[in-house]
Parts: sequence; structure tokens; C-alpha cells
Amino acid sequence: MEPYELSITEAAARIGAKELSPVELTRSVLGRIEAVEGRLHAFAVVTADEALEAARRADKEIADGGHRGPLHGIPVGIKDLYDVVGTPTTSSSKVRADYLPTEDSAVVARLRDAGAVVVGKTHTHEFAYGVVTPTTRNPWDTGRIPGGSSGGSGAAVAAGECLVGMGSDTGGSIRIPASLCGTVGLKPTYGRVSRSGVTSLCWSLDHVGPLTRTVRDAAFVMNAISGFDARDQATVDVPVPDFAEGLDAGVAGATLGVPSNYFFDDLDPDVEAAVRRAVAVLESQGATLREVEVPHAEHLMALEFGLTVPEASAYHQGMLRAKGDLYTDDVRVFLEAGELMLATQYIKVLRVRTLVKEAWKSAFEGVDALVAPSLPAPAAQVGQESFTWPSGATDSVINAYVRLSCPANITGLPALSVPCGFSKDDLPIGLQVIGRPFDEATVLRVGQAYESATDWASRRPPL
Amino acid sequence: MTDAARTPLTEEGLEQLLAVARLPLTPERKAVARPALDLIYGLMDSLDDVEVGETPPATAFDPRWE
Repeated sequence: MEPYELSITEAAARIGAKELSPVELTRSVLGRIEAVEGRLHAFAVVTADEALEAARRADKEIADGGHRGPLHGIPVGIKDLYDVVGTPTTSSSKVRADYLPTEDSAVVARLRDAGAVVVGKTHTHEFAYGVVTPTTRNPWDTGRIPGGSSGGSGAAVAAGECLVGMGSDTGGSIRIPASLCGTVGLKPTYGRVSRSGVTSLCWSLDHVGPLTRTVRDAAFVMNAISGFDARDQATVDVPVPDFAEGLDAGVAGATLGVPSNYFFDDLDPDVEAAVRRAVAVLESQGATLREVEVPHAEHLMALEFGLTVPEASAYHQGMLRAKGDLYTDDVRVFLEAGELMLATQYIKVLRVRTLVKEAWKSAFEGVDALVAPSLPAPAAQVGQESFTWPSGATDSVINAYVRLSCPANITGLPALSVPCGFSKDDLPIGLQVIGRPFDEATVLRVGQAYESATDWASRRPPL
Repeated sequence: MTDAARTPLTEEGLEQLLAVARLPLTPERKAVARPALDLIYGLMDSLDDVEVGETPPATAFDPRWE
């Protein structure tokens, strides 16, 4: 196995045992980038020189007895929405081609404190406002999309171009590429991780979190990045547990909710089969299953768009007037339309959001987590505009992918996507685990229980 | 909330909204903005039947300085 193929857990063990150095690992990752990036275009910029310099510092620190923990010397890709000092942060947009941050975003600073090595900025759908990431291709089939908006991070992690990719998730943008690229992706609870220094799409729904190869890797990253930050007024000052502790406790005694509506409506048959099998695996491990009706199912998409559209338009008001022609059309049209929404419409959405929060609290009574499909279909072909379901109904690609992702954005609940199989076209399928507020520990434990019972995490794309 | 069905936005209506928003658009941009706006308004109107009563919006302002 080449070093770039290792998980964070495996690499950290070898680095700790001095069997592998951060420089060797970083060189392996940079070599992998050189080998496959021409086919994937996962990166907006690769910062090879800076990465090797950071890896050399990590080498020396570790040799001197200053091992900082599991992320020390680990190569990370940062979504091009996050400020990285001295490195262009373009949001994958011509509008921001010249933006050079003068300081790191909060998450990048915390990752560097943990000793991580930044290898580059991964592509996002422009300003995170989409689910395709048109610059980038899916490592499992380069004729297909990696998903978005954190598509660059999803593709890079799946292909071995970094051991963790940071993402953001406003309507699924961590979980969509995680599911489509066959990685783990965690959208934490709203307010768990600081968004300071990350370009905003929708303040009310934006979350930041990791895409990794394994659930344990995600736990290690969460340990490094979580916690209150006064610079992000949405962060909540709650204790941060050790997310890796108790990870292997299993699901015996846990009650898992299985939605009787919404999440299993209009699915690709391969997706439904894989997810139902995954739920059966969890039941065989001792979880009790309980049918749960998802409340306000018919309102969730209205809430998602009713928050995202006007807030994004508000953020982009100046840039839209100054540089409108530099936006891609699919982003520009909604920025323009969003300026024409009524304040009373936006406030109605916020009031219904309060009702949804209370209804989901009731739905979760006696339930530790919900298990459901991450997405209704595997990766779309490049240029594909819609899906047709067995019922004959159709959905645009964006509606299909956002539909099952947005509930966790609207409710702010933690949600994990973990690989649970492949379609008949050998495309990855994701299982979604949605937990209680600030209970990432249970979400990760359920994901770990499933991952440990299967071998999906060891599968690699045929690049 | 009104029971009235939404009347389709006319070209003149769109012009007036854009003027209020101080967002000048070319004819080509208006042509694509209108269906997007119809989609958004349709989604918002789907919330008409949700009784919110005294429910406050899901926002909060923390006045603390630290």
C-alpha cells in the first residue's frame, strides 16, 4: 500500500511509530496528485512547496518528541471557500480570482495547530451555490460528477490526493460529494464548528466539516476543529467531547429511527436496496429499529430555498452589480431572483423553521439517530439535468440531491454520510445517519459500527 | 395569509420589482430571472397553509459583548 492510500488512523500510527515520516507521506500525496489530477481537476491550487516545508517542520517536531496528535503531518485539502493565508481563495469563481487572504480561517488555524499539512485548495461549485462542482470529475467514473459543492474535496479524498478534505454544507455540500465519491462526510451540528474565515452562502444554514476515508478519521478531525469561537456568532459554547472515545461501543441497545416517509420516496432501486441492507446490518448488531414519520416533509425544500436564496443574494449584492458577468449563469440567475423576494416571505420561512425544530424534537423521542439514504441516486453523468424515478416522477439533479440533505441543514442536526455499497454501475452509495443536537458522538458511533462490519472503506476507485 | 392565487408576474411587474431592488437587468437576464422567480415564489406560496400562530422566527440576538 502506498502512503497516499492510508487513512489518517493508519498514517498516524506509522508516523507515531516512526515507520513513516510526514515528508514521505506528503511526497506520496503530491506524487498522487501529479498522477491523477489531470483527469480529476479536484484542486484549484496545489501548494506543494508550502506543504513540503510544513511536512519538514512536522518531521523535526516529531523527531524532537513533540508529536501533537493524530493529525500531525497529515496532508489535508481545504475547500476553496476557506481562507488560507497567502493562498488565493477564489470560491472557484472569476469574481474572486484576486482575493488573497491575510490570515487563516479558524478551521485552517486549528488544523495547523494540530500539525496538519495543507497541500492545496480544492474546487467548490462556484461560491458553494450548487451540487455539481463542474470543474471536477468523479474518481469512480470520470464521465460523472463528484457532487458538490465540496466536490473537489470529495474527489481528492477518494482518489488519495489528500487524507482529509475540508468542506462546507448548506444543503448537503459535504454529504453529497461524500456519498457520490464513496467517502465519509460529516456535517456537524449547527454551531459546533466555527465558520469564521469561510465565505458565506447562507448564514442560517452553513456548516463546515470534514470528508475522510473512515469514520475514525472524521472523529480525529472533529477533535481538532470543534469548539466555540466568538468570531462566529452561531457557534455555541458547549463542551467538546473526545469524538474518538467510545467510537467502537457499537449499536447494541441503541434505537434507530427509519423514516416511513420522505427519505425513501422516489429512490434509485440500487440505493434503496443498499440502504435497506445497511439498516439490516445495524439491526443485526443489536440496534432496535423504529419507524419514524418525518414531520413537515412537504415544507422542507421551501425552507431550504427560502433561506438560501435571499441570504445568498444579500451577501452578493455588491459583487453582483460590480462583476455580474463574471458569475456562471446557474449561480447568477438565483442571485438575481433572490433580490426580489419579500421580507415577509423570508420571515415566514424562519417561523416555520421554528415549528420544524419542535416537530423533529418530538419525532426523535426515544430515538438515538435516524438512518436513511444520503441521496436518492448515485453520481449523475456530466451534463445530466434530471433523474427519472421508478414512479415516473422526475427531479432536477439539484432537487434530487438537496431533497434528502436539507432536513439536517434546516434542523441543524449532525448528519454523517458513510459508504454503504455500490450501484450496478459501480458507483458509490451513501448511508445517512442523523443525530440529536451536539450528539456527533452517537452519529459517529453508529457510522463506525456499520463501517466496521463491512469493507466498503477499503474500496478504491479504479484510477 | 391570503387565499388568493398568485397572478403571474407581468413584464411590467418584473420591471418595477427590479427598479425597487435597484437591480438593472438586460432583456436576456430578465428572461431567465422570471422563471427562477416563479419557482421561488411557488415554493414560498407552498407555506401559505402552515399556521404559525404566535411562533417566533428561528433567529436570536445575543447582546453580550464577549
